[in-house]
Amino acid sequence: MIELAGALLGNLAQGFGVAMTPVNLGLCLLGCLLGTLVGVLPGIGPTATVAMLMPITFYLEPTGALIMLAGVFYGSQYGGSTTAILVNLPGESSSVVTCLDGHAMARGGRAGAALAIAALASLFAGTVTTLAIAVGGPAIASVALLFQSPDYVAVMVLGLVAAIVLAHGSLVKAMAMIVLGVFIGLVGTDVTTGEQRYTFGIADLYDGVGFVPVAMGLFGLSEIMLNLESRARDGGLARLRDRLWPSRDDFRSATPATVRGTLLGIVLGILPGGGSTIPSFAAYSLEKKLARDPSRFGQGAVEGVAAPEAANNAGARAGFIPMLALGIPPNAIMALLVGAMMIHGIQPGPQIIAKQPELFWGLVVSMWIGNLMLVVLNLPLIGLWVRLIQMPYRYLFPAIIVFCCIGVYSLRNSMMEVVFMAVAGVAGYVLRKLGCEPAPLLLGLILGPMLEENFRRSLSVSGGDYMIFLQRPISASLLACAVLLLAFVLLPGVRRQRQRLRED
Amino acid sequence: MNQRHPATASRPVRLRRRLLSCAMAAVAATGIMASGAIAQGFPSQPITMIVPWPPGGGSDIAMRLVADAASKRMGVPVVVVNRPGAGGTIGLKEMASSKPDGHTIAMVATGAVFAQYNNPNANALSDFEPIAFFGDDPVVLSVGAKTSIKTLADYLAAARANPGKLRNGNDQPGGSSHVAASLMERTLGVKINKIAYAGFAPTVQALLSGEIDSATVPAPDISQHHQSGAARSLAIAGTQRHFLLPDVPTFREQGIDFIAGTWRYIAAPRGTPPDRLAILEARLLETMRDKGFIEKARAAGFIVEPMNRADTARRLAAEDAAMYPVFLEAGLVRARQK
Repeated sequence: MIELAGALLGNLAQGFGVAMTPVNLGLCLLGCLLGTLVGVLPGIGPTATVAMLMPITFYLEPTGALIMLAGVFYGSQYGGSTTAILVNLPGESSSVVTCLDGHAMARGGRAGAALAIAALASLFAGTVTTLAIAVGGPAIASVALLFQSPDYVAVMVLGLVAAIVLAHGSLVKAMAMIVLGVFIGLVGTDVTTGEQRYTFGIADLYDGVGFVPVAMGLFGLSEIMLNLESRARDGGLARLRDRLWPSRDDFRSATPATVRGTLLGIVLGILPGGGSTIPSFAAYSLEKKLARDPSRFGQGAVEGVAAPEAANNAGARAGFIPMLALGIPPNAIMALLVGAMMIHGIQPGPQIIAKQPELFWGLVVSMWIGNLMLVVLNLPLIGLWVRLIQMPYRYLFPAIIVFCCIGVYSLRNSMMEVVFMAVAGVAGYVLRKLGCEPAPLLLGLILGPMLEENFRRSLSVSGGDYMIFLQRPISASLLACAVLLLAFVLLPGVRRQRQRLRED
Repeated sequence: MNQRHPATASRPVRLRRRLLSCAMAAVAATGIMASGAIAQGFPSQPITMIVPWPPGGGSDIAMRLVADAASKRMGVPVVVVNRPGAGGTIGLKEMASSKPDGHTIAMVATGAVFAQYNNPNANALSDFEPIAFFGDDPVVLSVGAKTSIKTLADYLAAARANPGKLRNGNDQPGGSSHVAASLMERTLGVKINKIAYAGFAPTVQALLSGEIDSATVPAPDISQHHQSGAARSLAIAGTQRHFLLPDVPTFREQGIDFIAGTWRYIAAPRGTPPDRLAILEARLLETMRDKGFIEKARAAGFIVEPMNRADTARRLAAEDAAMYPVFLEAGLVRARQK
């Protein structure tokens, strides 16, 4: 034990040696700054930014290059929550859930508290996850290898069932939204057969309907329309009530939520396709299930900000575990980082810790340093952000729309993405007028294609035998949880209670 | 950019410089090609190289290396623009419909052969003028460590004993890895269960978790796992062994004539003047035959085997002939027929 701790300290010391060189510190700061910026700008995501920075890394030393690119990625997780909270615009897909209660808090005049809670929850999650990578990276990575297609199916089913609790209105409408999301997810090239589905000969639909334009349209643009409709007077978005900093009560409810969100984020973040989006949805659902009074969610519950923010940061960083320890990138951005390593002739994989200890430990330590930098960068900015949403809406909303268009265009250098966002904006407005919430739809859109792909793959692996879902212990137990949860939601007693809560 | 603008006062200076370099080029006897280039003023503006795949992938890295090195030889910047989507057809359509003056080129890969038959929006290969071949990224047949298969002979025996039972991980029908697996079935005379994954990373993950018995993925994706013992690579479908997997024999070494994988070449729109194509060809071949370039590309996992225009065209015709029956059999030929 002592030996192990000694080794860890030695490794960390080596990591500090690498990460604290002036060049690497500078690159880390640059990455974090850029990350915060792209996080704040809606639509310009970390994936596009890392991609644009790739050519620069030709001329950098590999460790420094990775430190900077990683900084962009986790920095954007911090920044992404800012627009979500202030103007209901998810800058990244992982901050969709933060919109729900974060923006409600801002509307209630507590934007400062929401931003501070988001930053501190992110700091906590980042620190814990970085430590987890340092202590048990390879061991944690092997968990990902226990999962096969049927197990993913079970995870997705559980996710979709849990999504029902995301809704704070009608159950039927929530389910309808999930199904609609799953249907939209059917568009595109079928992975199993290579067939085109519902593409109507439009080449831009071959890869499916992009998540980011839909999320920005459904949340951001529809919000602008609703605001313009209701705001006859031309005031700011929200008036500042009391103070900037969260109260003691806020901290008391946020702390356990942050811890739970972090753990969930680590577990889900290492699974392929996990990234940071699914953990944030899952953490929100969990908090709502655990809450004594679930009706507060959607009205500005502090836990509803703390848990998903912790989860998306933990998830974002946990993605480094399979990438570094197994050489298997779990999401697009990790694949980019693998690309950056390959440019320098480094093959990511099981041998990387032994062969390139200075790279591995330098990166781990820099992630922790970057974390501190981000908090230092972000906390003083809160006051500025809060003042920003107090400016007259007629100046604010055109700027938001312009940034949205630039961001969405930059995703694939394609005008069609902007069109998708506009369509989604109108659809979002109509849906919200009808009392349907966009969050379950987005979850359906994320999980639907993954569910289908893994479902069909499970069956081709088993030769068409449905028992494969019950034979594997992981999938069997997760499916059992889903059934229990469904029964719980549909039980007459619970339903009546939901009804009562809604009427309160 | 500004100080090089043609409309500025620096024009005579530039002309003089050009004449000078022209003379020098002639003296150095680097050939008629180079002086011709300068006389014509081609390339006279930055060259756009469209990569129809997202940044960070194999194609992007390969082409950024080429563009970076070629910029010095072309005398103008070669700028990589990523236009991903629809299996590469969106970017290639943009190239094919751009002005055929040699200033827009693109990377074309294996998938374009499939797209022309399957996708009504895709261009036919004949819409592109090949300039130069970059190289092959051959697939490697690998099995999971948990299987009892140790050699290609074991694999063949297992596949023959249980037709359609061995599970092989590959990409979706029409993708280069799926085509390779289908061609392998035909060459080896076996039937396997081809399981589709969205990309090579999830395929390798499934191989390690034991969900599939074998996988056909490029060498850079599997070499680490072969070395660590988590997977066993049995044979590589290239003309020679891969430097990342020096201990893995080729199929040919084991008596089976099987070559498959991803290959890449650089093309211009149809109608580009032949003299400009020749200039581009000469510059790109110089670039890709440069020792320093080959070293750099190798460090990133690429085999660089440049070919000229004529050889590239011959290679394309051969690939087209070999793959067409595979698409026909899979029922994926619907845009145009051969």
